[in-house]
Amino acid sequence: MIFLRRQLPLLITMITGLVFAGQYYVPHPASEQVLTSATKWMQIIGGFALVLGVTSLFHVHAAKIRRKEAGWGYSVVLYAGMLGTIAVGFWANGKESVEGVSTAFGWVYNFMMVPLQGTMFAILAFFIASAAYRSFRARSREAAVLLIAAVIVMMGRVPLGEYLIPMSGDLSQWILNVLNASVRRAILIGVSLGTVALSLKIIFGVERSYLGGGKE
Amino acid sequence: MSFAERMLKIDRRIIFVVIGLCTLLPLLYPVGLPIKISSEVRGVYDYIEQMPERSVFLLSIDFDPASKPELYPQAVAILRHAFRKNLRVVTMTLWVSGTGMADQLVTQVAQEMGKERGKDYTFLGWSPGGTAVIINLGQDLYNTFPSDYAGKTTKGQPVLDGVQSLRDVSYAVSLAAGNPGVEAWYVFGKDKYKFELGGGCTGVIAPGLYPLLRSGQINGLIGGLRGAAEYEILIGQKGRAVAGMDAQSATHLAIIVLVALCNIFYFSMRRQARRQGERS
Repeated sequence: MIFLRRQLPLLITMITGLVFAGQYYVPHPASEQVLTSATKWMQIIGGFALVLGVTSLFHVHAAKIRRKEAGWGYSVVLYAGMLGTIAVGFWANGKESVEGVSTAFGWVYNFMMVPLQGTMFAILAFFIASAAYRSFRARSREAAVLLIAAVIVMMGRVPLGEYLIPMSGDLSQWILNVLNASVRRAILIGVSLGTVALSLKIIFGVERSYLGGGKE
Repeated sequence: MSFAERMLKIDRRIIFVVIGLCTLLPLLYPVGLPIKISSEVRGVYDYIEQMPERSVFLLSIDFDPASKPELYPQAVAILRHAFRKNLRVVTMTLWVSGTGMADQLVTQVAQEMGKERGKDYTFLGWSPGGTAVIINLGQDLYNTFPSDYAGKTTKGQPVLDGVQSLRDVSYAVSLAAGNPGVEAWYVFGKDKYKFELGGGCTGVIAPGLYPLLRSGQINGLIGGLRGAAEYEILIGQKGRAVAGMDAQSATHLAIIVLVALCNIFYFSMRRQARRQGERS
């Protein structure tokens, strides 16, 4: 059992990890075929992951409703919304419109999901303004630098800012292109090196947390 | 409680009203301030402009309705440009929740430009797998999308004539609100399958994509509503983005004024506290 639970997954990880790291550098048709098959499998597994995610969400909220935990009413709404949308989706064969005529599924999408998502995103502007007023203070030198940079970029990104302070546009471009890009690049390089190191640790079995716990 | 303290604890609903008015009034009474074109946006425009007729242009609509105000005008402007140049437009999405919106968007612009589905454009839809879809497209398009969103077989569609994989795409643009998006298209697509790539994104994620732009990994970047407005001006067809720029100008200015006021009150409170400390 230990072989099936520990050694076999480690072996599969090591072989597939090494094969696909090497595959990138081998443009032979056979090697490309391996990649085609593997990515097709990844897509199929991705489809199942969606089912797994939805099932898990149902379980979590079913438990909340059963135990009548705080906010269980929202879970009921989630259940009703999800089951309703799935039923309508099957009924409409997954199509939002047929020959230009909106289906029930299209109605749910256009008149419920689109406005709800739009509203969620739109109210951010109000909260950002309120939060900026309350907390964007030059408490230290670093905070002052951040504040000045933010004001310049905000001015430079809108026509009114460029109209009032003509050089704000060029200054904001310089901040984004030079200061921002160089710092972001440094972070990216660091993250990439970390990813390479972690990948090697997983491939060679040093990092095993993905196998989960349980008895040996 | 001092005046500064009272002002710092102002009811947030007053700020909401200020922001609401700053958004609403410019939309009702537009000013139409001039908009400068940035080199980032021009990069995407110039590349499409120099593409020969019937070249294959791939537009990945990688956003959902939450980012519609910023990215929808970008998509409309790019599609209008591509259709006007008589390119073969292949569209798709990596975001499942954006599928319906993307289909409506592409169909609407295509109808407006008098283009025919299957001949001048196609919408492939969504396929599970996220970044794996990009790799799979790079290997074999027909394997990834055996049929388009309308259910028609992709093989044999005139719009995909001579297209086997991403290697046959002349130019791809990802309009992204997050991940998978522009970065994924570079890492899993352009890097291996060698096509030119441009990007479009929400204002929030634009600064994070500048390293890709400066290194030439993407040849242009349309950032937020401002980028969309610049593109609308470049194609000479003003739309929602240009209309929204006055509102964005006013809200940006309002936030700057609010931050300045907050700091004035904050420093006045600090000075008061210091004086009181010196006296005692």
